[in-house]
Amino acid sequence: MRDFWEKHGVRILAVAVVIAVALSLLSFFATTSSFLHNAAGVVTAPFRAAGEAISGWVEDKTHYYRDYTALLEENQALRREVAELRANARQAEKDRAENALLRTLLELRRQKRDLQLESAMILDRSESNWTAALTLNRGTAHDVAVNDCVISAEGYLIGVVSEVGHNWCTVLTVVDTSTELGAMIFRTGDLAIAEGDFTLMGEGKLKLSYLPPALHLLEGDHVVTSGLGGYFPSDLVIGTVSSVATDDDGLTQYAVLSPLVDFDSLTEVFIIKDFAIID
Amino acid sequence: MLTKRDLLIKWFAYAALVLALLFIHSFTLHRLTVWGVVPFLPPLIAGTLGSLEDNRSAAIFGLIFGVCCDLTIRAPLPCLYTLAFTAAALLASVLAENVLQPGFLCSFIASLAAFIIVDVLNVLALLIGGRAEIVPMLSLAAREMAVSCVALPICHPALSSVHRRFTL
Repeated sequence: MRDFWEKHGVRILAVAVVIAVALSLLSFFATTSSFLHNAAGVVTAPFRAAGEAISGWVEDKTHYYRDYTALLEENQALRREVAELRANARQAEKDRAENALLRTLLELRRQKRDLQLESAMILDRSESNWTAALTLNRGTAHDVAVNDCVISAEGYLIGVVSEVGHNWCTVLTVVDTSTELGAMIFRTGDLAIAEGDFTLMGEGKLKLSYLPPALHLLEGDHVVTSGLGGYFPSDLVIGTVSSVATDDDGLTQYAVLSPLVDFDSLTEVFIIKDFAIID
Repeated sequence: MLTKRDLLIKWFAYAALVLALLFIHSFTLHRLTVWGVVPFLPPLIAGTLGSLEDNRSAAIFGLIFGVCCDLTIRAPLPCLYTLAFTAAALLASVLAENVLQPGFLCSFIASLAAFIIVDVLNVLALLIGGRAEIVPMLSLAAREMAVSCVALPICHPALSSVHRRFTL
C-alpha cells in the first residue's frame, strides 16, 4: 500500500482533481452542455429511450390488471367533474363575450399569447434520489435552449430546461430543489416565489414562499407563473395550494403546492421554445 | 501476471457487465419505489469492483466510472461522482487488502462506504445551496443505502465471476 502511494498516489489524486475541476469549469462556462457531456448524452440517448420504452410497457401491463376497481371509481368522479366543468365553460363563454364587448367599448386591445411549442418524448427519469429531473429527446438541433419551459398536454408546467445537448435536454421539474419561479396566486393576483424544497421533493410537492403578510390562501387555490421579467410565459399553472405552514422562525408563512402533473405517468411533453405576450 | 491481451479482455468484460447491470437497472429497479426511494446502483458497482482489484486498477476504474457517471447522471455538483467513486474504489481496495478478505462482506462494507462518500458530498452541496435540512437528507441517505444494498447479491456474484475467471 505504501509502495502504491509512493509511486502512483499523488499522480492519481492529481488526475482526479484536474478532471473534477475541468468538469466543473466546463459546466460553469458552457451555455450549452460541454462537448463531453453532449457526446455522452447523444451516445446514451437511444439506450435511455429503449429502457424507458420497455419499462413503460411493463408498467402499463401491471397497472392494467391492478387498477380496474380504482379506474371505475375514478371514472364516476371524472364524469361528475366534467359536468361541472361544462357548466363553468358555458359561464366562461358568456363572460368572454361580455369581456370582448367591454374591451370594444373601452377601446382596449386584446392580450394575445403566442407560444411556439415543440413536442418531445421522455427518454429518462432522474436516476438519482437527490434530484427530480427528466431527459427529453429534443435539443439544440430543434432550437431548444436553456431556460425554456416545458408543459404537459393540459398546459400545466412540468419544469425548466437546465441543460441542452444536440438531440437531448435535461428538464428540472418544478419540485427539484434548484427550481425557483416567479409565481402568482390566480384568485387574488398576489405575487410570490415557487421554489423546490428537499423535504417536499420527496412528497412530489414544492413550496410557495415570500407570501404577502395579509394574504389569506384557500386550499385548492391555483398558482401560476407570473411572467414578470419576461423569462417565462405567464399563466402557466404550477400547482394548487394543499396547505399553509409557518417557517421555523415563526414569523413568515409559506404554502405547500401540489403540482397538477403526475410526473410518473408522463410520456409526451411540450417545450415552449419561444413566446410572445402581445398587449 | 496477466498478459496485456488478458487484461484488455478482463476490463472489457467488466465494462460490458457494468453496462448490462445499469441497463437492467433502468428497465426494472428504476421504476421501483421502496420507502420513497429508487435503488441506486453506481456506488455498489464502484465499491464491489474496487474491493476485487488492486489499488491502482481500483483507482483508475473509480476515476473513469466517476467521469462517465458525471457525464450521464445529474448531481448537485458537476464533479461529484468523479471525486466520490475515485475515493470509494480506492478505499474499497485498501479495505480488501488490509482489513477484510475480498468477498461478499467486503463488498457490502465497501459499498456502504461508497454510499457514505457520495451522500456526504450530496449533503454538503445541498446545504450550501440552502434548500435542504440535514435530517431529511440523512433520512434519504439511509433509506437509499438500505434499499440499494438489496441489489448487492446480484452485483457481487456477477463482478466477482469476472475477477475469478482472470485471477491466476
